[in-house]
Amino acid sequence: MSPHEVYPMTTRSTPERLDEAVQTLLAGERPTVEPELRPLVRVADLLADVLRPLPASRRFEADLGRRLAADGGRRRVTPGRLLAAGAISSAAVGVTVTAYAVWRSSRRTPALSHRLLQR
Amino acid sequence: MSGRAERAPARRLAQHDADLAAVQDAQADPAAFDVLYRRYLDRVYAYAFYALGDHHDAEDATERTFLAALAALPGFRDEGASFRAWLFRIAHNTVSNARRTRRRRRTEPLPEAFDRPAPDADPAGLVARAEEMRRVLGALAELPEERRQVVLLRFVDGLSAREIGEVLGRSPGATRVLLHRALRDLEARLRP
Repeated sequence: MSPHEVYPMTTRSTPERLDEAVQTLLAGERPTVEPELRPLVRVADLLADVLRPLPASRRFEADLGRRLAADGGRRRVTPGRLLAAGAISSAAVGVTVTAYAVWRSSRRTPALSHRLLQR
Repeated sequence: MSGRAERAPARRLAQHDADLAAVQDAQADPAAFDVLYRRYLDRVYAYAFYALGDHHDAEDATERTFLAALAALPGFRDEGASFRAWLFRIAHNTVSNARRTRRRRRTEPLPEAFDRPAPDADPAGLVARAEEMRRVLGALAELPEERRQVVLLRFVDGLSAREIGEVLGRSPGATRVLLHRALRDLEARLRP
């Protein structure tokens, strides 16, 4: 073996090679791996078999679907709702400004009448 | 091998695009969230079930996950993280909270609670499969929490190392190392 001989370098780490093997396994194909990774791939195969997809019950699916639809309906912003919200907030601002003006004038009026009386 | 390696990312990309279109629809009209709900219900439920080991707890966690996702959807932006990873981050947090609550109540279910009917009708096969499931799930339950989560997200839901990293707040490299350690740990525990 010459010291200058060039070998193809394995650039990927062991966890990367294992992850790729798992990906192949999950895609339903048999991965090709080096001997040291074979026991781990066997465990991965076992896990893929045991942790099978598990459907939720249809009743639960229907119940939660209805709940989400109701929740989504409350969150929906429609032009009608926007107009109503705009009208209500404009009215609220108007009432507040008017109330403030009335309050200010009621405070100012006695002082003004007092000054007029002193003249 | 290169063909295999190329197909999986291509599938993920197609899924990502399909999700993105559905997310945009749901952001414009929350009623369209139904598409994403139907697409991910079984996967979120399976993840919650294998993580919590109880049907009722899994349904509760699934419900909380989808309600939280619907509420947070207007804030979702396509900035590299897939919708799937975003959804499973919510599911992961919900499951973690449920586990914390249960620890306080001290009602951790045993691996026996994972019993469910096997698809084959052969009684000997059913018994052998149930025994194998119990053994594997028992070993899985003994793993440190983060390693267990990596295994569940990888095998139950098929999330990539990058997506799992987004869920757990780890880099893809750190996630692969966690998976490697988890499988090594399980192999040692399952060795006859």
